[in-house]
Amino acid sequence: MASSRIEELKRQKKMEVSKKRNQIPYAILLTIAVLIIYLIITKYQITFGNYWVIGILLGITIQRSRFCFVASVRDPIMVGSTSLLKAILLAFIISTIGFFIIQYNAIASNPDIRIQEIPGQFSPVGIHTAIGAVLFGIGMVMAGGCVSGTLTRLGEGYAINLVVLVGFIIGSILGTKHFSFWDKLLISNAEAIYIPEYLGLFPTLILQLALLCVLYYIAHWYDKKSNIMASTM
Amino acid sequence: MGLYYKIVKKPWPYWVGGILLALLNISLLLITGSVWGVTTGLLYWGLFIIESLGANPASWYYFNVYSPGFRGGYTLILNPHSVLNIAIIIGALLAVLWANQYKFKKIKNMKQIFFALAGGILMGYGSRLSFGCNIGAYFSAIPSFSLHGWVFGVFIFVGAYIGTRILYKYII
Repeated sequence: MASSRIEELKRQKKMEVSKKRNQIPYAILLTIAVLIIYLIITKYQITFGNYWVIGILLGITIQRSRFCFVASVRDPIMVGSTSLLKAILLAFIISTIGFFIIQYNAIASNPDIRIQEIPGQFSPVGIHTAIGAVLFGIGMVMAGGCVSGTLTRLGEGYAINLVVLVGFIIGSILGTKHFSFWDKLLISNAEAIYIPEYLGLFPTLILQLALLCVLYYIAHWYDKKSNIMASTM
Repeated sequence: MGLYYKIVKKPWPYWVGGILLALLNISLLLITGSVWGVTTGLLYWGLFIIESLGANPASWYYFNVYSPGFRGGYTLILNPHSVLNIAIIIGALLAVLWANQYKFKKIKNMKQIFFALAGGILMGYGSRLSFGCNIGAYFSAIPSFSLHGWVFGVFIFVGAYIGTRILYKYII
């Protein structure tokens, strides 16, 4: 529990023991099933096929790279390792550039565009965002997995993540049921803030890239200074 | 054998994962017009379950104010969010099977169940307040230049710090 590195070594050891049984036939069967499902849902609705393919690739990527958002925020605190946080900052740098190009084109083709129509994810920001993030942060460290990590580990065969999933669904329902309380208290006064509306699209891009690079540098420095598990990467 | 071993058997470095996740999120926005999010799909599954049990969530305040707005042909089970979530589970299974590393791992004890359930509930409840999880309100929100992504990113560290205190106290 003390570090993901130890967990990883334990997992590798376990896997070496269980290697005897050949799983490739199941892999081939599942690959064929994935292709058949693709054909069926594409016929049902073309966009479903796109979501299916990208989802499969996301699952493979998270599993293969052992990507874990929990470890990215927990490990700097617990063991001083920031290799996952740095990977996420790198992902932010790349997706910031990609999203910028997509938004730039959308705005250029329709200068009167409303925030809600700009491609991306916009939600009201305020104290509720902070409360939600704190609750989420406590929960994901306690459960040992965030939501995407839970889905991935479900696929890997961890029974415990079914419990996390059930808990998550219960929590979502409770949150939705109590929503009127939070909305009247905090959310209805809050608005979604699209930073380029205040600073302009280009300055926001430059500022955000600069901030991400500075954070990357700090994370790199912090790892060198305080990582108790040297050379985790 | 060398390349097969590197891609299928050996874990990829974190930075490769980061680059690929970023490119996949960009592709998703480019192709479908929506970004990667996880929580909405799971909320719909929950709504499906309680609707089957006789509740009527459609009348709840939440859906009058922040209507999810189903377009033609979508249901609580058959919708893009569901497809994406199920595909992530299947994708991970596919990856472990090709690597010959699938193994069913049993639940260890009641303590583990308690922490999993409590953690799950806190995440679910929190994600309703922040309009998404570490994917929708963080991984997809920051590159969208939406301020809520940065707020979420700062306070998830506060939550993780409290969470590690709880872990130290009760588990380790």
